Formats: sequence, C-alpha cells, structure tokens
Amino acid sequence: MLDMSGALAAIVGPEYVRGLGGAVAVAPGNTEEIAAVLRLAQENHLAVVECGGGTKQGWGYPVAPALVLEMHRLSTLREHTWQDMTCTVEAGCTWAAMQSGLAQHGQFVAVDPLWPDRATVGGIVATNDSGALRQRYGGLRDLIIGMTIVLADGTIAHTGGKVVKNVAGYDLHKLMIGAFGTLGVVTSVNFRLHSIPRFMQSFTVSAKSVEPVGRVMLAMLHAQLSTVAIQLRGGVDGFDLDIQLASLPEVLATQAGALEMLAQSEGLRLRAAADEVWNARQGQLSADVVCKGTMLPSEIARFAARVRGLSGESVTQAGGIMIAGFPAAAAGQLPQLRRELEEASGSWMVLKQPAETKLDCWGTLPDSLPLMREIKRRFDPERILNPGRFLGGI
Amino acid sequence: MLSADILMELRNAVGAEGLIVERNQLQTYECDGLAALRSVPAAVVLPRTTAQLQAVIGVCARHHIPFVGRGAGTGLSGGALPDDRGIVISFARMTKILATDIPNQRITVEAGVINAHVTQRVTPMGHFYAPDPSSQTVCTIGGNVAENSGGAHCLKYGFTTNHVLALEVVLPTGELVHLGSPTLDAPGYDLAGVFVGSEGTLGAASSMTLRIVRRPETVQVLLAAFDSISAAGHAVSDIIAASILPAAMEIMDRLAIQAAEAAVHPHYPECEALLLVEVDGPAAEVDLHMKQVRELCQANGAWEDRLAESEQERMLVWKGRKAAFAAAGRLSPDYIVQDGVIPRTKLPLVLEQVAEMAAATGLRVCNVFHAGDGNLHPLVLYDRSIPGQEEVAIDLSMRILHLCVDHGGSITGEHGVGREKQQALGYMYSEPDLDTMQRVRCSFDPENISNPDKVFPRPRLCGEKTGKYSPHPLETAGVAEFF
Repeated sequence: MLDMSGALAAIVGPEYVRGLGGAVAVAPGNTEEIAAVLRLAQENHLAVVECGGGTKQGWGYPVAPALVLEMHRLSTLREHTWQDMTCTVEAGCTWAAMQSGLAQHGQFVAVDPLWPDRATVGGIVATNDSGALRQRYGGLRDLIIGMTIVLADGTIAHTGGKVVKNVAGYDLHKLMIGAFGTLGVVTSVNFRLHSIPRFMQSFTVSAKSVEPVGRVMLAMLHAQLSTVAIQLRGGVDGFDLDIQLASLPEVLATQAGALEMLAQSEGLRLRAAADEVWNARQGQLSADVVCKGTMLPSEIARFAARVRGLSGESVTQAGGIMIAGFPAAAAGQLPQLRRELEEASGSWMVLKQPAETKLDCWGTLPDSLPLMREIKRRFDPERILNPGRFLGGI
Repeated sequence: MLSADILMELRNAVGAEGLIVERNQLQTYECDGLAALRSVPAAVVLPRTTAQLQAVIGVCARHHIPFVGRGAGTGLSGGALPDDRGIVISFARMTKILATDIPNQRITVEAGVINAHVTQRVTPMGHFYAPDPSSQTVCTIGGNVAENSGGAHCLKYGFTTNHVLALEVVLPTGELVHLGSPTLDAPGYDLAGVFVGSEGTLGAASSMTLRIVRRPETVQVLLAAFDSISAAGHAVSDIIAASILPAAMEIMDRLAIQAAEAAVHPHYPECEALLLVEVDGPAAEVDLHMKQVRELCQANGAWEDRLAESEQERMLVWKGRKAAFAAAGRLSPDYIVQDGVIPRTKLPLVLEQVAEMAAATGLRVCNVFHAGDGNLHPLVLYDRSIPGQEEVAIDLSMRILHLCVDHGGSITGEHGVGREKQQALGYMYSEPDLDTMQRVRCSFDPENISNPDKVFPRPRLCGEKTGKYSPHPLETAGVAEFF
C-alpha cells in the first residue's frame, strides 16, 4: 500500500501534512504543488475536498474525503495594479485581508459575501456567494476577469487575463464560479475593481405586512437613484426594506427626499439605517434549515411572505437572491415551496439541514444536466474532486 | 457538395422555401464583415422556428456536416465564414420578440432579432438594451451572443455576457437545452456564461432572455481637444482615479478625426487627440461629475472642451466616432482594422511603440480606441496595388496584437478570434490553457461540426493570414457603420 503521507510530504514538506479524522490534510504552498498533489490523488483515486476558511463546507451533499486540500498557504494579494483597477489574489486569501490590501488605494472587489473575515476567495468563488451590493456591481461572474486553475490531472491552466475587456477564447472562469470545486482547484483569481464610494447612506422602510414594502422595493428598482445595495428582510416583527445610496453629498440629500416620497406614497416612514443591517443575512445561517432561493424581483414579496408563513426568516438581496432560515419543524413544507418557486422560474437550494431531514439539496435537475456531466467527465474523469457534492451526483 | 438525399432531409426540415442551393444565391453568404476571407457554403437554410433549427442540426449531426450560424454577417473576424463542405444557418427568419417583462427588466427574443429593435421595443417604457456595437442597427442578438459583443458604452454597462440571463440552445448533437435562467444563480454550472462569446463553436442559440436597463435621467457628452494622445490618456486615468465611471470614454487621433470629419462632419476640434466622455445617470450627479471631468481635462492640457448641446449634436458626435472605420477608406485605398486590449495605463507606452513599428515599415496607423477599457482599434493603412505592401500590413497588424499580449493584454476586446486571429490565440494562451478550453468544446460538440476550424489555432498551419479590411456591402450602402 502506498504511503500517502510520505508521498505528500515529498511534495509539500512533512510539516504541511497531517492526519485529519480518517483523512490526510495537506497544505500546498503554490500552484505547482497543488498540481503534483492532484496528480497523486488521481493516480490513487482519492476523493479530494478543497478547503479555505471552512465556512461553507456543509453546503451541498456531504463528501467523505481521503484528502483535504488546505488552501491557507496561498494567501497573498499578489498584484494590485490600482491605476488599472485590477488585482490578482491567491485563492486562500480571506476576503477581508484582500479588501484591506485593496483599500490602501481606495478600491475594492465590489462583492459583500458572508463571513468575510474567515471566508476565502476560493470558497466564495466555488459557492458563488454575493451580497446586497450585487444590485449595483453585479456578481462574481461580472467581476472576475481571469483565473489560474488546476485540473484533476494536474494541468495548470490560465483563463481570461488581466484586462476587463477580453473576448479571446472561452470564459472558463465562469464555469468555475459556483461549481463547488468539482471541476478544478482555483489557485488565483484576477478581479476587476471599483472605487470605494466615499459618501454613502442607508435607509430602512418597515411595515407589518409585506405588500406595501414590496411595492416600494419595485418602485426603487426602477427609480432614478444612485442605489448600490438593496435587500428585503422578513422576520417575526414584519418586513424591512433596506436601501443604500452612494453619490456626492449634495445628490444624496436630494435622493433621500425622493426615497421619502416613495415611502410616503405607501403610508410608510423612511428612517436612517445602521450599517449592521447589511450583515443581517448572516443571522439566518444559524437556523436549523438554511436555504437559498432565487426568484424574479416581482416575486420577492410573495415568497418572503410564504417563508414567514412557515415560521421562517429571510433576507432577499439584489433583485432576487434569498437566504432563508427555518426551524426544523418547517422542513416538511419546503418541497412544496420549492415547487412554487420553480414554477415561477426560480430555484431553491437547501444549504444546511439536520442529518435526519434528508431534503434534496439542489431541486429539479435542469435539462442541461447531461452536458454538465460530460464537462465533469472531461475535466475530472476519475471523479476525485468533491465527488457527489454537486447536483445530479456530480 | 451535399448529396441529393441530404438536401432532401434539409428540405424536409425547413421547407423548400427555406433552403438555398443556387450558386449565385449562395455567394451572398460567402463572407461576413471580414470580406477578404471568402468561401461559398454547400447550402444555406433559413429556419423559422426552434423545431426547424433543431431538425436542421439533427441532419448535420447524423451526416457529420459542418454548420455555422449567421445573423446579419457583420462580424469582423471571419466568425461566420462558411466551410465549403458545410451549411450556413441563417437566422433571418427568426425575428420575433417573444416576451417583454418591464417590472422584472427582462425581454426574450429570437436569435435573429436586430440589436436596435430590442431597445426600440422597450424605449416607450423608459428602458434600453445596453450592449451597443456600432453595427447595432443591423446586427442580430444571436450574433452578439456568439461574439460577446461590446460597444462604446460597455465601459459602464458591461458586455453582452453581463446582459444574457438565459438561452435556448440547440447543441451540435441536435439536442435542445436551456442554459442559464431568467433568475440569477440557477443551480448548476454557468453554461450560459461559457456559451456567450464561444463564437458559434458550442451550438446554435434559438432564443435568449436579456436584461434591459432603465434609461438614465440625463446624458452629457464632452469633447476635449489635446495636443497629444498621451495627455488625453492621462486625463482618462485621472477621471477613473477620481472614482467617476463614465458611460463611455473614447480617443481618436488626428488621422481618425480627419477621416470622420470628411465622412460625416461631426464638427470635431482639429487636434492631435480628441477625447469624448459621456456621463449619464441622475441629473444632479451628472452635473457634478461632468464639472470634475472638465477640470481634469483642463488640468491635463485640454485647450478646448465643450459639451454637445443638444440630443441632435450628441447623436452627431457619436455618428462621427462610429463612422471612423468606414471613413478610413478616405485616407487609404486599403486598411486592416485590429482589436487589441491593453491595461489602460500602458496606453501611452504602447501607442509610442506602435508608432515606432509603423514608422519602421513606412505604413501609417490610425488610432481609434475605447480609452476607458484600453481597447485599441489601430487601423493599418496600406495600398494593395503596391507589391508586397499587403504582407507588410498584415505582419504589422499581427505584431501589434503580440505587443498587446506582451503588455498583459488581449488579442481581441470585442471582434472575436474567428478565423482571423486563430494563430494569435496561440500566442496569448499556452497549450494547457487551450487544451482546457478544448475539453469544454468537446463536451458540447464531440464531432467538431459546430463552426469548426475557428477560434483555436490549427497546428497544421504554420503562418497566419489575416484578412485585409474591406467595407461590408451593408457598410458601403450606408446601412451600418463599424467599430
């Protein structure tokens, strides 16, 4: 039998290999070492789980790894060409560390993910996390301009580049975003950057019932406002709509007035919001059952009310991405909620659930599943990367 | 040549009136906007429905016939160039707008719908479709999806890929699949993201759901005149550094200004470098930002800066800019238009090197570019009637692309690789990079029939022959203008 630890130690050095439960954890120091580790894993048919901050390891179906690929040694913000507003960052860098580096020149990657202090670039990319800022800046697929990836057979490939405008070849990096690490290991990412807005203001509109808040939200989406973030929260006390504006101080004053009028037209009051409201999503993640729903903007109010009716709480951001938390007792109702969402062109993913609940994680499989399986087969023929974690058993 | 049996199958798929086999009619389809490369297809089919499209591709799959989709044929890299053993699938009859959903800012269209018609449909409701390639009055959404088209306003609004939510696609195997979703973040791989910009090599899209955008409250366009490209380039960098994101920032050099002036009389100032800056958004914000933009232009030595006063004048300013390619015909009998991208800050350095390279060959290079995102469109001017000059011009244009790659850029920002830049793709990406792309390609198209021999370098060819730019028939007729 192969001495796995010994073979890994020969690649990364003995101090970076350790036992972890029934698996071996290995912490490579660079892309080439990751390639060598994956080649070894493929030759020996070892299931590999990539791990950054470990904040979202429970998402998707569980995998029993033989090898845990720890990414924390690839943690450098390698390049920040601030004049060009681009950067290259290694996948194991935490989101907060990257942002604090970029902030030295007043710039940022315009995404506000969950747990930025612990979550890493690689994990956020793998799960395609985003936040309320998506309203203005788009998601990861709109902000990532290149990547370095390692395939299961050790092939090191670069995709995209360091310029924002580039149509040469396929956008392979889009394939890696939200793939849950099933196609390859992302080792570095090139981002398009934005300037951190200098003047911002957040407001909240609240009501007991969802309808007036929902109407104000739709009106705001269509209004001539400098909106950067928007979210609808639904909880025990009713519904709250948060909106963040960013512009010059003179303009903010005018726009706040316009917002006030919008709220008043529904008989509601606009009030200043604390910055913490933008972390509200994290509060849902401690619930027994946590789900991510996607829906059209016009359906947000309806489904926020549905979640409330099932004793759940929700935060829906950026025109239709909901995170909802439920008590375990509500689990039986969720397949029906999923059907309703899917009928309305949406989707419903179960991110977290008690072991005994056994809800299907991913929902109705798309007609493109055979194509997805074929891509998986060509990228990872031995199925060593996060096997079974993704939809359809990928 | 296709056998009588195969032609019968195609006729059964689209009806007799949807199949073209007459040689003189086929010639209409022998090239796209890169008219130097020509090849007559064996047949052209014009499906009217997704079912017909699926039937056609089914025939191709069964008999291993190469196919290429074609919208308006305005592409500039030979992407719609036919294979002489294969068929062209024209989308000229799939032109329906299927659904408009203003509250959710979405619209669903068939692939043959013209870009500008999308905006026209939603204008009364205060919206527009943002990607605006200069050929937008004739080019189709299907072609935009294949090429991931940009346009002057993608600096702020993004490219086609940022605006396509969902696609209905017939795979090269003949299967119909749905990629993406009208909602964000549908579970599964982002196949819509890979399909957009794949230049027809992964199948044919029959319809797509697009994001439409609220029309801005105010639009202002500034014309600023500088004594050097480098000064104009610095102004661009300063504007970006001041946290202003204009809708568009374009630079034209003296030659380009002269050409545009002669063609459409946009009343540009006579100068070494003209910078056009368009700022849009809420009125109060636009006023303040434009004030800052003007200050920054003046600080960088702009000796004239004026706002286009009316909607009419603004249209004229853009017409001049968009006419720049076609207008180059007034400067030189022949020219090649290129499409390199560099990091914005390399602009002065690269342009200096391009000028040196041009001087060494004795050829003139005219520069028009999307300065905000570093997308250069150098026009290499030459005269084909002088022996050897075409080869020199082609060589120069390829060396300019290599220079862009050397400075950390790309060989194409919006025109695509197509047939024209296949070898240059091999300069930009290594073998493992290309091999990884091939894995995707083979997943979609295992038999290699969907627009084969495009995009990827062909090792069996040692040199690359780029095409000289000659105006598309639509362009000479004044129907369309190209970047």
